[in-house]
Amino acid sequence: MIRCEDLRWGAPGQPLTPAANFELPKGSLTAVIGANGSGKSSLLKVIAGLQKPLSGNVMLDVPRRGSLSFLPQQQHLDRQFPISLQELIAAGLWGSKLSPALRSQKLAAVLDDWCLSGLEQRPLMALSGGELQRALLARLSLAEAPLLLLDEPHAALDELGQALLWKHLHNWHAEGRTLLIVCHDLAAVRQHIPQTLLIKSSGCVLGPSTELIHQQPHAQVA
Amino acid sequence: MLAAIPLWQPFHEFVFMRRALLGGLVLACSTAPLGVFLILRRMSLIGDAVAHGILPGAALGFWFAGLSLPALTLGGLGAGLSMAGLAAWITRRTGLREDASLAAIYPISLASGVLILGKAGKRLDLLHLLFGSALAVDGPTLTGMLWVSGISLIAMVLIYKPLLLDTLDPLFLQTVSRLGPLAHGVFLTLVVLNLVIGFQAIGALMVVGLMMLPAAAARFWSRRLPVLIGVAALLGCVSVWLGLLLSFYYSLPSGPAIVLVAGIAYLLSVVFGPVHGLLRRPPLLTSQ
Repeated sequence: MIRCEDLRWGAPGQPLTPAANFELPKGSLTAVIGANGSGKSSLLKVIAGLQKPLSGNVMLDVPRRGSLSFLPQQQHLDRQFPISLQELIAAGLWGSKLSPALRSQKLAAVLDDWCLSGLEQRPLMALSGGELQRALLARLSLAEAPLLLLDEPHAALDELGQALLWKHLHNWHAEGRTLLIVCHDLAAVRQHIPQTLLIKSSGCVLGPSTELIHQQPHAQVA
Repeated sequence: MLAAIPLWQPFHEFVFMRRALLGGLVLACSTAPLGVFLILRRMSLIGDAVAHGILPGAALGFWFAGLSLPALTLGGLGAGLSMAGLAAWITRRTGLREDASLAAIYPISLASGVLILGKAGKRLDLLHLLFGSALAVDGPTLTGMLWVSGISLIAMVLIYKPLLLDTLDPLFLQTVSRLGPLAHGVFLTLVVLNLVIGFQAIGALMVVGLMMLPAAAARFWSRRLPVLIGVAALLGCVSVWLGLLLSFYYSLPSGPAIVLVAGIAYLLSVVFGPVHGLLRRPPLLTSQ
């Protein structure tokens, strides 16, 4: 569950919207849409506790550390960092008490799940944008957090990668996890995500995706 | 000609050379991971700011307490941290770019250090403080170097995982652990400690070279972090050994001799290194 009360966020003295009040129930799958600069990514960071709100509160039904996974936009990673794909993904098991054998089993399974088998030893520098995005999603899968905040998870993914992503998103939703996803592809949101939070400078609107997004097969925000 | 030089004789013959070698080798091992992480964290200039900052502190320590290891070390430690902290504070409060803020601190530190030393009298050879002297590594200094290196290596093993994640993906680490700021703080403290303990043997202005040059050179030899650290330590050790020999046979200050050998290793790595070295294939291009 995510409850925001009188929440304002943005640069100091320049809130992006009037105070917002909304509640996303436990196990809900919600898209966040809005124009560029409307504050979608910042909202996710505020909910994740990575950025302070200007005012108001965010309440979660789980502790932030360990129960919340946040997928930022992938440009934040230094592609020259001397680390392999496997080491990047294995960080998803941070704090887990599993035996080494179980850890490698889980790792192998998640690599397979995200079609990354065979790339384990590849350095970050040698990964394509889509492969890196799948690696970050695989790391997120390993963490098994009940609350997932995803900022443009489909970025850089090809058609196959996007199909894989939607499959996992639906699985996570079916498992009862709470998902909040920033997405620019309105047609995909309308098709896959039941609930949408629309951020506008006049305020936030939460409602069924089919009502908030008019039927435009190739509609894109920004 | 180098082959004709007995490579072990000075260390066999003179206790001060053995001390300088042992101190330099352990320092090269403990500064290697620090240098590699400084580069990965894009904080290479912090080392310079701290090293320059050490100078006025050590000079003040000398002024008040004479040639005493604790006074020089404490003075250097306090001033090194203050100078790096002052640069960071100015950046945070005024928005001045970090590199500009650090670059402004260097000359202030250097000039005030040299002036204080001038006022303090001529008993302490300025050149030794700036550029190091193998003779400066006496028993207590060597003990200090062994302690600092040992503690550094143990601490780096303990903070390795959180520091790695904090460097690569701090946002991710923040969502799974509180250890990020702690790892960063411990890491910076280790950087200052190593620079301070190294300045007597290698010189305040040169010790940062032993920290950064092998680390920068290692980047051309591997894409794996543990290997990078190992290569940096090895290059640092070879530089200390050959540098001390050069210093001994040609009566050169030990710091510049060691750093110049490390510099040659760096330039050779730039040319011949298998990872993006000039003679190798162009960088592996990615779609990004």
